[in-house]
Amino acid sequence: MFFSQMKRNAAKNRKNNGLFFGSLVIAVVAFYTLLSMDKQDVMRFLKTVESDAVSRLLRLIPVVYAVSLFFVFFLVYFSYHYQLNERRREFGMYLMLGMKRSKLFVMLMGETLLNSVISIVIGIPSALFLTEAISLITVKLAGLGIIGHEITWSFAAVIETAAGFAAVQLFAMMILSVKLARTEPAQLLKPDTPDTQSIISVKKSRKSFAVGCILLIAAYMMGVLALDSLDVLIVLLILISGTAGTFLFYRGAGAVIGRRIQKKGAEKSGLYTFTGRQIQENVLCQYKTLAVSSLLLLIALSCISYGIGTVVSSQANTEKTTDFSIQDGAEGKDVLKILGSPECGKYISDYYPVFLNMIDAEVHEVSVDGLKEAVRTLKNVKDKDMQENIVEYIDTNEGYEYVIALSSYNHIRKAAGKDEIILGEHEAGFFTSGREYPERMDVYRSALKNGAYIEVDGQKYKIREEIYCENVVADRQITLDKAFIIPDEMYQKIAADSHVPFCYNAVLRPEVAGKEGYMQSIQKASEFLKANGLEYESYLSGIGRRLFYAVAGSYITIYLGFLFMIIANTSVALKYLMQQQANRKRCRTLLMLGADISDICASSAKQIRLFSGMLLAVAAVSSVFAVWSMFNGFMRLPEGASAKDVFLLTGAAFCIFIATQMIYVMIIERAGRKEIYRLSER
Amino acid sequence: MKQDKVLEVENIIKVYGKGGNRTEALKGISFDVLSGEFLGIMGPSGSGKTTLLNSIATMIKVTSGKIRLKGEDISSFKGRELSDYRGKKIGYLFQEFELLDNLTARENIILPLSLHGITGREAEPALKKLAWHFGIEDELDKFPSQMSGGQKQRTAAARALIGNPSIVLADEPTGALDSKNSKVLMDCLAAINEEEARTIVMVTHDANAASYCSRILFIQDGRLFHELRRDVKTETTDEFYERIVTVLSQLGGGSANVL
Repeated sequence: MFFSQMKRNAAKNRKNNGLFFGSLVIAVVAFYTLLSMDKQDVMRFLKTVESDAVSRLLRLIPVVYAVSLFFVFFLVYFSYHYQLNERRREFGMYLMLGMKRSKLFVMLMGETLLNSVISIVIGIPSALFLTEAISLITVKLAGLGIIGHEITWSFAAVIETAAGFAAVQLFAMMILSVKLARTEPAQLLKPDTPDTQSIISVKKSRKSFAVGCILLIAAYMMGVLALDSLDVLIVLLILISGTAGTFLFYRGAGAVIGRRIQKKGAEKSGLYTFTGRQIQENVLCQYKTLAVSSLLLLIALSCISYGIGTVVSSQANTEKTTDFSIQDGAEGKDVLKILGSPECGKYISDYYPVFLNMIDAEVHEVSVDGLKEAVRTLKNVKDKDMQENIVEYIDTNEGYEYVIALSSYNHIRKAAGKDEIILGEHEAGFFTSGREYPERMDVYRSALKNGAYIEVDGQKYKIREEIYCENVVADRQITLDKAFIIPDEMYQKIAADSHVPFCYNAVLRPEVAGKEGYMQSIQKASEFLKANGLEYESYLSGIGRRLFYAVAGSYITIYLGFLFMIIANTSVALKYLMQQQANRKRCRTLLMLGADISDICASSAKQIRLFSGMLLAVAAVSSVFAVWSMFNGFMRLPEGASAKDVFLLTGAAFCIFIATQMIYVMIIERAGRKEIYRLSER
Repeated sequence: MKQDKVLEVENIIKVYGKGGNRTEALKGISFDVLSGEFLGIMGPSGSGKTTLLNSIATMIKVTSGKIRLKGEDISSFKGRELSDYRGKKIGYLFQEFELLDNLTARENIILPLSLHGITGREAEPALKKLAWHFGIEDELDKFPSQMSGGQKQRTAAARALIGNPSIVLADEPTGALDSKNSKVLMDCLAAINEEEARTIVMVTHDANAASYCSRILFIQDGRLFHELRRDVKTETTDEFYERIVTVLSQLGGGSANVL
């Protein structure tokens, strides 16, 4: 009988607290997703190319898991606190009827365990489904869409998820049950009284509202103007003033609402004053929850935005110009022979030599003073240090500047789907591989518009205004701060070993890649090249490295972002429900005084909407500044990455936040309406 | 002079539960309340007096019988009619005050009016008068948690009266007050009954409070069982109190002992 009662109670808990139960299932999904990371396609692939970095990343996962468990613990604790409060009288009765405290404890723990098991049973299959989807999406997002897919599941992750999840639940319940067991039955049987507004003086709260606003604005300004220095003191100041500002803002907001009611209330009728006072009370009593949740949402959105930024940045670098770069060793002729063989043709559709080398400065006189001067005379440069740095080091090559033959470079452009460059007479192009340093790019770009030129053997060559930065080789093993694209004839004349190509670039046959998947086909082609004794680098390792940065940067931040969001939303919803629980008596009084049921429902809906609106509004404003500071400060997007994409995607993430919040609001609204109708029954 | 009937209660029966659990709380009670009357309803615990009051207040539905307020049958009310009845035609005074503790005294008092579309500014004259009458003028901007029990109940009384209802229903209004505050409240209610001819129906256990009434109905086991009338002009409250106590002392012994 005891067990069946436990089962009944657990079922009732799930039914009455659907919102919370849903959040628990989401938590299970999130945990499994995180813990099974090493079994997911992307990670399996990355392990083969970047095993060191991957294992470092994977070592980080337990830490992230612990952090998530820590936050989820609070969520669970709040929720059980609320649920047990609802059932206080029931427990009081049990104790009065002679149930032993130990038995009550066992009953509660049993209920918790049962519900944990059910959440896990629902959560794990959903998680498997989600991880599959994530695998596919990540691959797609990273611009590959071609890695062979394999359905996997991780037994270890299931065990770890279940263990961590159940432990958090049982631990929270244990603390609460011990507290409960210490309460006298008489205390339990007494009805629960609402948190009435603690009366803080109007003056004091108005002051705290004003100080809160000032601190928030200060934090925003510091973030936007000074965060790029990444000075510890500044970061600390922003954190402190932002956090304190949020708390003070919410603490004082109640008084501002109160003032509005007093000012407007006299002119209004109906439930205006009541609704206003309810919101005021909710804000006054829950300002800490509001502040914490608002900050959590801010962190969540910043995490997600950062993650999106990383993905977009890494994608900007994944532009593929070639699949293989094959070294032209001593047996240079062999390379051409092998590449030209019909067997190779099965894999390779096109190949071309890349002519890139230094100018033979012993024979030719080279000067980059024209470029140096163009950089030096720039005005209004945002990053002065960068400008000085470039001026100082620009001529350290002492004439041994790198040059690229125009035809080779145009081949590369073509592979990337871009137009050919046509150089005019006495004209050269400027190449750099330093795309991820936007400040440096900015300086160069301005310099090129400032009339930069290079001088070879006394002849000035004007440098075109556009900067070229398509990858010259398959994997970006070579980094060239600067190189000049010059006509082939000129290359033949001035470059050292001008007839020997730097390497041969080869392009994989698209039909094969389409049929077998990119990974398989590139591996097969690699095997063929290796078997023929060629030294090469492939786009595969490039993908690996880039993908790794994308995954490492985005996966965990986006995961944490969504987890924070769920926690913030659920805890606000729970706190609100707790407050609403205490409102039944008021609702009954209102009905008795002749309030219309539909008016009360409308008031209750307005309360929750405004309450969640207050939460979202502050989070939204703070997030705008946070994201702005982030991309303006320490996380400049590389060249080619679209800031618009990042902001649009971040905006989309925020819309998801709002949608999630709306779901919570709707659930609470419906619960409130049901309760009001129940109360109005005679 | 023939007084108007404000409330007519006609053979009302209230049954809780079904089958074996069936309990008859009211077994056919009939009485009238005249305009300007201060009617007390007394009886031992479980006699059905609160059920009776709640039926009149539309908090519960009677099983059969009719309750008419100024000739209108209230048991058929639904929706807007019902809330209008509650808000405009009756005022209700609860034992536990039932003030909304997040509203100031002022906002609590005018709530029944604002629920029916009257703004705070329009309600101000009526509010001022009642606040003066109940001696809570200095408390108007306080929240309930800042007031004493007596002040809270007087605030609640002002709230019950502000809509100028046809009848005020009071359920043990002194139940949560000490004797001093009970006296202040009853003095105020009696004065407003006398000066403004407001009709009050009060359920009480307290013989002291009941002695302010002009008529008392005694209920036992869901039936009307005795009635006391006071001639307000000749009989003092103290004398009436003596008579009430005598009836109460005999109530326990069954109807055979009563005069």
